[in-house]
Amino acid sequence: MLAYYMVLALRSLQRTPILSALMVAAIAVGVGAAMTTLTLNYMMSRNALAHKDDVLYAVQLDSWGPDESAEGPYQMPDQLSYRDAKALLRSDIPQRQVAMHRWGATLTRENSEQSPLQAEIRVSTRDFFPLFDIPFLYGNRWEQSADESPARQVVLSQAMNERLFNGDNSVGQPVNLNGEVFTVIGVLKHWNPSPKVYDLINGAFKDSEALYIPFGLHHQLQIYTWGNYDAWWNEIPKNYQDFLNSHLVWTQYWVELKDAEQKKAYEHFLTAYIKQQKAEGLYPRPLKFRLSRPSEWLRVNEVLADDDRMLGWLALAFLLVCVINATALLLVKFLRKAPEMGIRRALGASRNAVFSQHLIESGCIGLLGGIGGILLAIVGLARLRQLQMGSLDQIASMDWVMMSAAIVLALIASILAGLYPAWRISHSSSSAYLKTQ
Amino acid sequence: MLKMHKVRKSFRTDTIETHALRDFNLEVKEGEFIAVTGPSGSGKTTFLNIAGLLEAHSGGQYLLDGDDVSGLNDRQRSRLRNEKIGFIFQGFNLIPDLNLFDNIDVPLRYRGFKASERRRRIDKVLQQVGLAARAKYLPSQLSGGQQQRIAIARALAGEPRFLLADEPTGNLDSLMARQVMELLELVNDWGTTIVMVTHDPDLARRAERNIQIVDGQVADLEYHANPAALSA
Repeated sequence: MLAYYMVLALRSLQRTPILSALMVAAIAVGVGAAMTTLTLNYMMSRNALAHKDDVLYAVQLDSWGPDESAEGPYQMPDQLSYRDAKALLRSDIPQRQVAMHRWGATLTRENSEQSPLQAEIRVSTRDFFPLFDIPFLYGNRWEQSADESPARQVVLSQAMNERLFNGDNSVGQPVNLNGEVFTVIGVLKHWNPSPKVYDLINGAFKDSEALYIPFGLHHQLQIYTWGNYDAWWNEIPKNYQDFLNSHLVWTQYWVELKDAEQKKAYEHFLTAYIKQQKAEGLYPRPLKFRLSRPSEWLRVNEVLADDDRMLGWLALAFLLVCVINATALLLVKFLRKAPEMGIRRALGASRNAVFSQHLIESGCIGLLGGIGGILLAIVGLARLRQLQMGSLDQIASMDWVMMSAAIVLALIASILAGLYPAWRISHSSSSAYLKTQ
Repeated sequence: MLKMHKVRKSFRTDTIETHALRDFNLEVKEGEFIAVTGPSGSGKTTFLNIAGLLEAHSGGQYLLDGDDVSGLNDRQRSRLRNEKIGFIFQGFNLIPDLNLFDNIDVPLRYRGFKASERRRRIDKVLQQVGLAARAKYLPSQLSGGQQQRIAIARALAGEPRFLLADEPTGNLDSLMARQVMELLELVNDWGTTIVMVTHDPDLARRAERNIQIVDGQVADLEYHANPAALSA
């Protein structure tokens, strides 16, 4: 009977095209508005590291001053100082660990007429790639020694490799960063998590970096961070070494701990480290550190803010208003068909059959409304991308999950809208209409 | 076939209770053709609606094919209505945006027949009412008489044992009324029990038995040998 009811529904929609179009529009506008907001919320709350959520941890140490707590998550700084990061790297407890920060440089290709370009660079230890499961297209990461001592090696993103080398295997090729020659040792496959969970501090929705260079290059190239940094007192380094030894926090730190036992051991290690720092007159605040899983890290950094959640609820409230409008229109439409339902009842249709027929008609309206809603949401998201001038490019787009969700939402909305009208028509007196036909 | 014993039907508003049928007794035997007459508001249509399971009676006993229908739920009543009862109305009651084939198809869909069986039955009844060539026509493309023949075809397609007709010729001119009546008589000859409500004494006279309803009760039982009673 489902196919029969669908045929009847389509005929019914054709019979009253204007009323049908109004109902489809009511659902489409509601779904479009809801999906525009919900898509943003969904994309913002994604966790690209969900598959490693039980083993990866962002490290925070409370190195802040005695007078007031830091403004970061859990009232601790969200980054580490360089000297703390270097000290933590000496631990052999984690499976993998990465100290890193954002940088940038002018990039040119050796012996090429390509114009110089400013490239986003991540300065990192070598575990960055396996810790975050980043796949390689060509070559590999640098050796362990490069984390300690300078090695002018670079890993390119796939996009940058295509730009510089037309996508060819560029391993062994030279590139020039701020006038220094580096050798390409690897090219990544496309990898662009959004939100950028590994560095939420410098823009949760920025693209991943185009180049990656070893952490051991700091001294030689005198690399300063291009990211956010903070300090609990107004510390002005006199020279580069002073900068590295300062209490400025500008390094992100992640560890991979395979199980609870390893995590406990690492917590002991951090406790011991902080106690040692206290003994040296540092870390004036009560002993405190934090290991946050990626999901926690996304939450405490408020990638999806309360305002965004509120906006989501408001969009759903708007959808509810549209559903109420659709209900009124469906009631008008269905009650106009009461004489036909009287005939169908006389010919053997049960109340359930009449109810099902009309609920399926509502569902058909929902399906059309869902398609309209997707189109409206795509337009809405495109408009948002335009207004935000690129900063929402990563998230203001619908994937197939959200498109499916739009259809499901539209079906639910239309069936909710159709429940009362379908019940009314199925319980109307059939005999009253048979005599008056 | 149909037996009503002390059947009551009342309609209640906040202030008034109206008794449409009171202690209504009637027995219709298999294969009979009965004409029901009576003044307007006497309860004829209420009787048809209860007999056709479109409305529930308020009291008394109604046996259809020997089964008491009082305790049946809507699904069971609908099933019984679909399988055993056919309706013919004064206003034809064809669904205007369905063609003739699809109109006749409606009760067969609810019966759950396969497409091949539905097609066989529809072709058969269209032949029987002489409109096989117009299966794809819309009701509005037919004359009143033709529309009523399609309504009869739709009622017959499910091969019901019991046909309820409410003023089947009320909207037709005399020639078409005669044709429809002849068709009903033919259907009755095939073995279908027919109960027909009519105001037309000439038509009532052609039925096997007449009953008259007055004030919600069967006033008397008469055969067409006594035409004086029919004109009351």
